[in-house]
Amino acid sequence: MTFNPLTEKGIPLERQLRNWRELDVTPVDPDETDPYTKCRIITMNGIEVEAALFSHHFARICPDREVKEQLARTRYIEQQQQKAVNWLLPGTASVLETTISYEQVAVDLTGWVARNEPDPYLRQAYEFGVLEDFDHLYRYANLYEIIEHRRAEKIVGRLTEVMPGRPTIVEHRDPVDNLRDPYDRNAAAPISKLHALTLVAAEQQTMNFYMTTGNMYMEPIARQLYQEIGLIEEEHVTHYESLMDPGETWWERLVTHEYNECYLYYSFMRQESDPKVRAIWELHLNMELEHLRIAADLMRRHDGREPEEVVGRELPQALTFEPNKAFLRELLATQMDLTTLGAGYVREQHERFQRMQEQIHGGEKPPSERVIDLHREKFGADYRIETEGRHPDPRLRQEVSGR
Amino acid sequence: MAQAPQAMAEQVDVVDLLTAQHSLIRDLFEEVKTAQGEAREEAFHRLRRMLAVHETAEEEVVHPIARHVLDGGDDGLVDDRLAEENEAKKMLGELEGMQPGKPDFMELLDRLRMAVLAHARSEERYEFMKLRDKTDPSTLRAMAASVKVAEAFAPTHPHAGVESATANLVAGPITALVDRVRDAVRGTSGTTDDPRS
Repeated sequence: MTFNPLTEKGIPLERQLRNWRELDVTPVDPDETDPYTKCRIITMNGIEVEAALFSHHFARICPDREVKEQLARTRYIEQQQQKAVNWLLPGTASVLETTISYEQVAVDLTGWVARNEPDPYLRQAYEFGVLEDFDHLYRYANLYEIIEHRRAEKIVGRLTEVMPGRPTIVEHRDPVDNLRDPYDRNAAAPISKLHALTLVAAEQQTMNFYMTTGNMYMEPIARQLYQEIGLIEEEHVTHYESLMDPGETWWERLVTHEYNECYLYYSFMRQESDPKVRAIWELHLNMELEHLRIAADLMRRHDGREPEEVVGRELPQALTFEPNKAFLRELLATQMDLTTLGAGYVREQHERFQRMQEQIHGGEKPPSERVIDLHREKFGADYRIETEGRHPDPRLRQEVSGR
Repeated sequence: MAQAPQAMAEQVDVVDLLTAQHSLIRDLFEEVKTAQGEAREEAFHRLRRMLAVHETAEEEVVHPIARHVLDGGDDGLVDDRLAEENEAKKMLGELEGMQPGKPDFMELLDRLRMAVLAHARSEERYEFMKLRDKTDPSTLRAMAASVKVAEAFAPTHPHAGVESATANLVAGPITALVDRVRDAVRGTSGTTDDPRS
């Protein structure tokens, strides 16, 4: 790629503030929008939320008023960006509809990242996580048909298959077993840092979303399922964020954040099919270029380092939303039985795992199992979208009751 | 994947029944948009019929009860829904007089689709959710039964201005009779075999 965010010029910060009329974006069509357009919107919402939260955390520990002022100025614009992006989603979407799109993001974003991650340990972490998001999509899709009388295929299209992943029931682990080993900031490829940050942002926003909206349903099975999957998202945020080197300075993390935003807006601008949405990716890219310049300046002054030392000289290959069916099926065939122990992975259900399972389930089936039972009861089978044949794991092939 | 018919017959709760119909209507819009020629006309007749009977049943059964039991029911909550229904019926009526193959038909259809979607979502959020809260299950089941009866006898064409339960019941039976005879004569009854309707 010849585009280098570190040398391109963006919009001056004082010209980036939008008024109410400009912020009032037209939402995309609830029924006719490319599912991947929605996925890009959801991804960038997560990224901008992380930008704001990170900036707030930085401000909390920063003694320098001048720096805090700079953070506040940029952060306010990031907050406007977040609203322009997230408000592209229409108000007619139900919480569950949006949830299913969130899980499609988790699956196909993590899938792509895993396939393009150069470090094997990091790649394994992404492969581990994606099988769990894949299962969440399946559980929510079944809930959707039960309570909203609509099929998830209307939301995800046939881009992403819907069938059991690593069953949510066995995703509940002892909290300490969600901590991985961090990459070394001096040895890691820049793309590895961007990958980790993107997935932390995505899972964090998913976690937030379930925390806030999971109680908005009245049906008990819906409320319970959101509590359960919400707790797995907590595990995923811990899992992905533990990959980041804690030795990274605040300045270099700021640069990494802004660089990543440029990277993603650029990637999405290149592949966006919807012209109105594409215009927003382009506008925001031009804003982020300036945020990056400001961050690089701060790092030079306070860390004495050039941004290229942290994020490299060349923009990586564009991140792309596309089906990952073959990749996922390979994982389903080989990694279903994995759990974690300390920073690594094992296949046996060790003592600490079993103790957690006993405590959390309390001798009963969790909501993630009950929702499937409920769907089978009402419809004769569970809901799936299996476009590439039967489930790779024979234990998880679809049963259809005799009714 | 085929859906077991008995699953739909088990929708004894009026909220479930109407929500399923909202979903069906959404699908029908898509069918009209993607079909061509005669298939589009036929799909449109099914949509028109579904919308007409669905809205009539809501006006006869659901909104009067909502008006009575819900906070704000009499203060505009129901009136807002009726106003939306009136708008939708006008658009549907206009569409009936247009050629399904023409661009202006598709443009108006799209406006109707968005209006119907917003209206359905508002009903679900502001009316149905609260009805379930304030009404016991046996009443909700009885309402479902009433909705089915109302739909069996409802006019199959939009008649804007007939939004109250009384007006529906006065104008309804005759209008419905006229509509159904008209449909039969023209072969445009557009009955769907979907067990949900």
